[in-house]
Amino acid sequence: MSAAFTGGAFHTDSADSWHRVHPVSPLVRGWVAVAAVLFIFGRNALDSLFTGRPDGRGISAGAPPAVIAAVVGAAIVVFGTGFFLSWRFTRYQVTDEHVHINSGIIFRQQRRARIDRVQSIDVVQPLVARAFGLAELKFDVADGGKSAFRLSFLKLDEAKRLRAAILARAAGVAVDPDAPDQVTEAPEQHVLALSPGRIIGATVFSSLSIVALLVLSGAVALTAWSGEIGVFIGFVPVFIGVGASYWKAITGDYNFRVALSPDGVRLHYGMLETRAQTIPPGRVQAVGISQGPVWRPFGWYRVHVNVAGYGDDRSDHGNRTVLLPAGTLEEVMAVLALVFPDPGVDNPVDVFTAGLRGPGNRHGFVHSPRSARWIDPLAWRYNAYRATSTALLCRHGVIFRRLEVVPHERTQSLSLRQGPLMAALGLVDFELHSTAGPIKPVVHHVALDAGRRLFDDQAARAATARRIHSAEHWLATAPSATPDPQEQQHAN
Amino acid sequence: MPSQSSPATPVPPGAPPVPVPPAHASAIDPEGVPFRRVSDRLTTLRLIERGLGGLVFLAAASLPLVLRLAGVWGGYPAWLAWALPSAVLATVLWVLALVPRQVRAIGYAERNDDLLVRHGIMFHRVMVVPYGRMQYVDVTMGPLERMLGLSSVHLHTASPGTNAVLCGVPAAEAARLREQLSARGEAKLAGL
Repeated sequence: MSAAFTGGAFHTDSADSWHRVHPVSPLVRGWVAVAAVLFIFGRNALDSLFTGRPDGRGISAGAPPAVIAAVVGAAIVVFGTGFFLSWRFTRYQVTDEHVHINSGIIFRQQRRARIDRVQSIDVVQPLVARAFGLAELKFDVADGGKSAFRLSFLKLDEAKRLRAAILARAAGVAVDPDAPDQVTEAPEQHVLALSPGRIIGATVFSSLSIVALLVLSGAVALTAWSGEIGVFIGFVPVFIGVGASYWKAITGDYNFRVALSPDGVRLHYGMLETRAQTIPPGRVQAVGISQGPVWRPFGWYRVHVNVAGYGDDRSDHGNRTVLLPAGTLEEVMAVLALVFPDPGVDNPVDVFTAGLRGPGNRHGFVHSPRSARWIDPLAWRYNAYRATSTALLCRHGVIFRRLEVVPHERTQSLSLRQGPLMAALGLVDFELHSTAGPIKPVVHHVALDAGRRLFDDQAARAATARRIHSAEHWLATAPSATPDPQEQQHAN
Repeated sequence: MPSQSSPATPVPPGAPPVPVPPAHASAIDPEGVPFRRVSDRLTTLRLIERGLGGLVFLAAASLPLVLRLAGVWGGYPAWLAWALPSAVLATVLWVLALVPRQVRAIGYAERNDDLLVRHGIMFHRVMVVPYGRMQYVDVTMGPLERMLGLSSVHLHTASPGTNAVLCGVPAAEAARLREQLSARGEAKLAGL
């Protein structure tokens, strides 16, 4: 893979060439600390300015200017040195096989990620970084989401080029020396965008609002009962918390756009902090589509994915496991077609609609037998499964509806479980194990015979699918150069 | 609910160590798969472990009774002081009585593409772990296990749901299994 390009295209590094992140980055990362120090000293200075003179008490009279100057100077030196060293000691390098990141002043850290294990890449721009035109490149390898690799901060263009280069190599595209443009950033193809109204509506009509209503009615009831307005004021912090949750939910998903680029599905979202998330094809381990009772009249669904490396990601701001925060059935199908190009049936819309709505056995779904009504009086006709030639669909629930889709080649392991009550009723639970994530696929209360057959068949289907899809490099197997995932997997 | 209280057919003392099918073939086992059992010494191990744990619980639960009999403090009804340790004792004995059956219910089978692991009688589980999905295999040995010549084999895939532990595998068999699983995993390794 020779990689000497010209004209702005990315070229990989040799073993001893290293790059540094943008010099401003420590400041962008550490601005909160700087702001806090400035705020504290600034306030003290102001306080002493105003209160020092009149009562003339304490040290304020003669010392302040010199002390303040010294302190500020020391702070500048300390922060400046820290920032400089932190910048100086952070280096990175992208070779054909690996990404190396060295960082740390006292505790040095040298990390190396294998490019072909990269599961997904985000380009994140926090508000302050946006002001400087900088971006953080963040990527996950398959380690259960414990530690993402971060390069913060790079110029936005540089981050994008690096992303394209890493993804191209992860895809196993043999770089053609005659057409080096292939590794420059490929154009995105717009798929769908969610309107601000949708995001706001979806947030307003969510379980958050139920919590908010409960809190509000509780506060009102308590105030009325005690007859003291102070009780209501005591609830103010809770209201602020709820408001902050709304704010976070709305700004986090604001401007949600889905696009298709040759290196995967790209999600753009965020109002203040923007994020462009790329999930290469074949990295989605499982898809979950869900709908609560409040969303049913609107026909909205939320789509989650399991991607190895994301883990149960809730800590990081923004929920990266969300593929579509609130979409109509058509939008859900459009997004599914991106991450899961071959549903393995001729009439995917009918099948998935049956999978999302239920009940009954239409379109090949098999629901729990009659005996399950003793355990599951409402949902027994909704809990169902269907295996297509490429994936297993698991349907759940009456009130909170869920459809889980696991491609056969992504099945990790399977199990059957049975407790005494289920044994008496001739039922069994079937579990599919996917990588760490929000989706834990399971089929509840399958009839005993059907469950055993499902267990055997699914093990066989997974084995077959694994043999077919064994390549880590998802493009290396496709001889045609057209990097369109829609085209790749029409093996049916 | 089927009665699970009476221990089923006792194992003859001189039973051969490993390749015996589990005593409790259950309705959800795959058909025609000969399971191998883990060592019967696991029964001893678990009896010791759970017996010790049970003693600790029992000691804690007997505290009110002891205080009452010693006349230190008796601010609670006598039946309660007696009922608490009796209940704990009954539970501990019940748990211990189940151990031999549980151990006999643990089985594993190496198939062409995957490893089958089964556990439990009342709460029964059968799991299949494809070789190509195994990320690594842990073999561990605690002090008690070492004395009895046993190991635990823990299979890991990329999924946290794969909770496949085989306790009480004889050390030599564990080593064989580890090598075998690694070799097969290597041969069939699939990407995530």
